[in-house]
Amino acid sequence: MTPTTQPRFVRADGPDKVTGSGRYTADLTLTGMLAAKFRYADVSHARITKLDTTAALAIPGVFAVLTAADVPDVHFGPFVADRTLFARDVVRFEGEVVAAVAAITPEVAQRAADAIVVEYEALPVITDIEDALGAGSPLVHTGWSDYGAADPVVRDRNDASFSSITKGDVDAGLAEADHIVESRYVADGCHAAPIEPRAVLAQWEGDKVTIWTSTQVPFDARAGVCETLELPANRVRIIVAHLGGGFGGKCGFHYEAHVAALAKATKRPVRLLFSRREEFLAPDRRREGMVIDITTGVRNDGTITARKAWIAIDNGAYTADAGFFPQLAAMHVAGPYKIPNVHVDAHLVYTNHQPSGSVRAPTAPQTCWALESHTDEVAAAVGMDPVAFRRLNAVDTGAVGPSGQTYGEIGVQQCIEEATKLVGYGQTLPDDEAIGVAIGWWPSFAVPSGAYLKLDGDGSGQIITGAQECGTGAVMTLRQLAADELGMDPENFELVYQDTSVAPYDMGATGSQTLFNNGRAVVAAAGQVAEQLRKLAAEFLEAAPGDIVLADGHAHVAGSPSSTVSIAELAGIAAGGELLIGHGSGAPPAAPPLAGSSCVGDLGMASFVAPQFSCHAVRVRLDRDTGVVRVLEVGAAHDSGTIINELGALGQVEGGVMMGVGQALTEGTQYDDQGRQRNAGLLEYKLQTCADTPVIRTHFVQINTPDAGPRGAKGLAEAPNVATAAAISNALAKLVGKPVRRLPMTAERVWEAMQS
Amino acid sequence: MSMPIKLSIDLNVNGVDYPVTIEPGRNLVSVLRSEVGLTGTKEGCDDCECGACMVLLDGQPVNSCSYLAAQAQGRAITTVEGVMRGAEMHPLQRNLLEAGGVQCGFCTPGMIMSATALLARNPSPTEEEIRIGLSGNLCRCTGYAKIVAAVQATAAGRY
Repeated sequence: MTPTTQPRFVRADGPDKVTGSGRYTADLTLTGMLAAKFRYADVSHARITKLDTTAALAIPGVFAVLTAADVPDVHFGPFVADRTLFARDVVRFEGEVVAAVAAITPEVAQRAADAIVVEYEALPVITDIEDALGAGSPLVHTGWSDYGAADPVVRDRNDASFSSITKGDVDAGLAEADHIVESRYVADGCHAAPIEPRAVLAQWEGDKVTIWTSTQVPFDARAGVCETLELPANRVRIIVAHLGGGFGGKCGFHYEAHVAALAKATKRPVRLLFSRREEFLAPDRRREGMVIDITTGVRNDGTITARKAWIAIDNGAYTADAGFFPQLAAMHVAGPYKIPNVHVDAHLVYTNHQPSGSVRAPTAPQTCWALESHTDEVAAAVGMDPVAFRRLNAVDTGAVGPSGQTYGEIGVQQCIEEATKLVGYGQTLPDDEAIGVAIGWWPSFAVPSGAYLKLDGDGSGQIITGAQECGTGAVMTLRQLAADELGMDPENFELVYQDTSVAPYDMGATGSQTLFNNGRAVVAAAGQVAEQLRKLAAEFLEAAPGDIVLADGHAHVAGSPSSTVSIAELAGIAAGGELLIGHGSGAPPAAPPLAGSSCVGDLGMASFVAPQFSCHAVRVRLDRDTGVVRVLEVGAAHDSGTIINELGALGQVEGGVMMGVGQALTEGTQYDDQGRQRNAGLLEYKLQTCADTPVIRTHFVQINTPDAGPRGAKGLAEAPNVATAAAISNALAKLVGKPVRRLPMTAERVWEAMQS
Repeated sequence: MSMPIKLSIDLNVNGVDYPVTIEPGRNLVSVLRSEVGLTGTKEGCDDCECGACMVLLDGQPVNSCSYLAAQAQGRAITTVEGVMRGAEMHPLQRNLLEAGGVQCGFCTPGMIMSATALLARNPSPTEEEIRIGLSGNLCRCTGYAKIVAAVQATAAGRY
């Protein structure tokens, strides 16, 4: 088996995407299809006193208007079952769905949605996460204690999920310190903002429903439909056409059940297309706002003695998949450092904002920004260079981390060395430029995953996988793994994917897990077919199966290259007998053990399987008259294990860095005093453009971390999004003379920091 | 209820005339996607913010979400489906694939139209000119570097 690291990699879905022939969900139509529109709450917290659909139903061309009364009374949510498909009695954020309409055209559907009469009695709007934790605060969910919840979730009133990590004795550790540095950092919420707005199309045939949807997680979407509409899994089929980006925003279960219910009620196919404004306001996948307090004790020699932190995370109105965020944020505020004494408390707090959920490396960019800005403050307190301070205190191979995990081989120190080298850290710069450095980390997620692989009679192959391609190229890369196992060319394989009724389970394009877990499954499936081929070749070539080598599309006897048969010929033989079919899953690695620490609200995030590390070093320029910051150069060094598809990996880093630049400088949700978004559009919520792009130089530190995926690969898609904002912050602090303690660090906030 | 007014117009898309009957207020992107049946042109914002719906009108890039279909009558409309050279990809399409400039692909058609227009008016753009030329097209996946590289390769005649 020769690893294929090809300089050239043309993704299998590429030709479809550059010619316009590729179909995305919004491109699909079915005969007789109706259009769906939602009626949203528009207010942030209120009791519904009247809900009358009569006028809407009377509009010609309206086929159905559904409300909570028309679907099973099911509360759902992966951590806390606090959500229903439609608002029941109370609305808790502006984008909550109150009713759904299916009509002959989108225009008629919108008119009907507007004609639904909803009257409210106002309830107190809760927007401040610190106030919401106070004993006297009004509650977002008065019935919170009646909700079902996953066992380890610790809840109390507006505190939807609490987690703590404790190691050693933090007060004793602080007492040992020569300096104690306290910081507060506050991050605004922001958005995944994929360029494709979501779309859902549903059609019933008998008692089965097929749903085409722009989801990153088809099996999760199916589970949501099954739970809320009370259907068995085998009667719900989720198919994803090409997916136009996700970044976490299309994880979870969203509107598939609403559209399926409309299709059932109307006996017609129904399609929902989101506008950009809806994409901003409605999904429960906004990146969470946070308040982060950090106290670190440090000796004069630069060693950290203790860290204490308190975090409040804006959960929004419903918990979605944010239940594990407190523990994840606690790990990120402790950070990849050797600290003997740690105590972190982290709260996930209900408000009347749009719900939070997994957006690319959830909690990490904001927490890393706070921690790494704080780390530069700590280094300054002992008069150390921030890079030297990190070299001294960052974890390394064999070190024990903040939650008591002992790391195998890891590359954080190499990342620091390479990233700083990439931008020439230490060089003399003009007085309006500076270089900032930050380190970050992120776990690999070890979860079950499956795939089939078959070779047909002509020797061409198909990989049939539950994995979902969101654009990263991870599914495209599976062909390389199969090809290497079978001694074939990646282009010999077609991919069949994104269909829950065809392929086995996979968690989806989430948690950077596709190559890590589905790669393992594909290798296992290909291994079974390789075994079959070796047996066939052994009979054909009159040799022992153990001596058969698969390479270059042929099977040959080891040491006798002339004794050979093509795989296509073997496949032809198999087509008349035992077919060449493999299936694979493989066992996901177990979570590494922890020692000497204790966790409250433990949702499995204190132990990082095959952790990924990164260091970003960023050169910025500040216009001191305006506060406008320009990122000039980024050096990104990543330990994501073995890189299997280098071109794809570089694309992940460059895209992740640019998302980080946006979060650092321009991307932040603004609210009015009623908890409603004020900048729900791409002119007011500014993504980075091509003209804003700095030079990005990437280095991969490729080492052999225990429990990594196929060939030593770890995850990669989220890691590049972790440290960029933090590194920009540290460069800016050098120019401003102090940290800008609010994210995003907009020109206005930078300018204000310079004045004070 | 009064009968809604409809217009019957011919739209010339990628060299083919399409007679369509539409409401006067329809924007070009919806007519291209629904009436003409070419879905390569994407809609990402309906507000001239993202560039996913970029098409060429007589060679000039236009956000088709904010352009009335009726105004496009008598003009040559080019969409991503019209960029191919017969059965062969345009060098820019091939270079986008080779350079890794395509990830989710949703911005790609609009990028191709903007880049095509740029190369037509400036066959040898500098990197800065490419960056400015593509700054009306948002991409969330790639960080833009590989898209710029693909346009540079195309300008340099590499294919």
